Amino acid sequence: MIFVTVGMHTKGFDRLLKKMDELAGTVGEEVVMQIGHTSFRPTNAKWFDFTTEAGIKEWCKKARVVVTQPAMSILDAQEQGTPVIVVPRLKRYDEVIDDHQLDFARELEKEGKVTVVYDVDRLEEVLQKSDLKAQELVKDGRLVNALKKYIAQFEPD
Amino acid sequence: MKICLVCSHGGHLTELLCLKEAFEGHETFFVTYDSTRTRGLERRYLLQNIGTNPLVMAQAFLSMLRILLKEKPKLIVSTGSEIAIPAFYLAKILRIKTIFIESWTRLDRPTGTGKIVYPVSDVFLVQWERLLSKYGKKARYEGAIL
Repeated sequence: MIFVTVGMHTKGFDRLLKKMDELAGTVGEEVVMQIGHTSFRPTNAKWFDFTTEAGIKEWCKKARVVVTQPAMSILDAQEQGTPVIVVPRLKRYDEVIDDHQLDFARELEKEGKVTVVYDVDRLEEVLQKSDLKAQELVKDGRLVNALKKYIAQFEPD
Repeated sequence: MKICLVCSHGGHLTELLCLKEAFEGHETFFVTYDSTRTRGLERRYLLQNIGTNPLVMAQAFLSMLRILLKEKPKLIVSTGSEIAIPAFYLAKILRIKTIFIESWTRLDRPTGTGKIVYPVSDVFLVQWERLLSKYGKKARYEGAIL
């Protein structure tokens, strides 16, 4: 099963969902989508708009691969040990306010942390690869420690 | 110490949850947007999603004021997005300390919210060193969630 999730974003992500719905009708693998605020309604894929924290984790766990935007949903998939393919939302399609997702995707790709698909027409080919790997999450404790230090400074004596 | 955690209900919440270990030993509560996901949080106040609607922003200022006066937190921590704006400006007036953490997804481009709350934040952190050049001297890089 392929799980597609586009999060809570107030803008829709029609480009990704339309392509994945088209593939749902041809690839012979079940596709489930969390469509958020996207107005497009899939006809081949199973879909819902939002779910709970546990719901997202459960779908990510069941999936062979998760297709999402380069944002925090990557963590949901990686926590479940599921490979992730990201498609950046682009400003030119009014999918996002600026192209920060593109910057972020390029950086994560450079670090080998995710597979990035920039052109949705390449999704079918990338989804069929058998060597999609889940990346291990390595948390950086520095930020937590810095926060603890600042919080301690603000504590009343 | 009582800490108020402020964030919108998607990725910004995920980032704040990644940092929850930092708040261990403190009393915390969330102010976030209402959604299927956030209704599952334990101690929380749920506001309507502000987005870019000025009227909802005005309502959020009133709701946030009521919450802060009732809860009297000593510190507000936020990872964005625009829900941080009423929280941080009211905190300035109410003398509540603030820590803002810019999103991990922001390498070179500051968020609109980051730019607006920067002047009133007591601590302002970015998660990429190269983003420091887009903010003033107060901004710090102290690592990222991952």
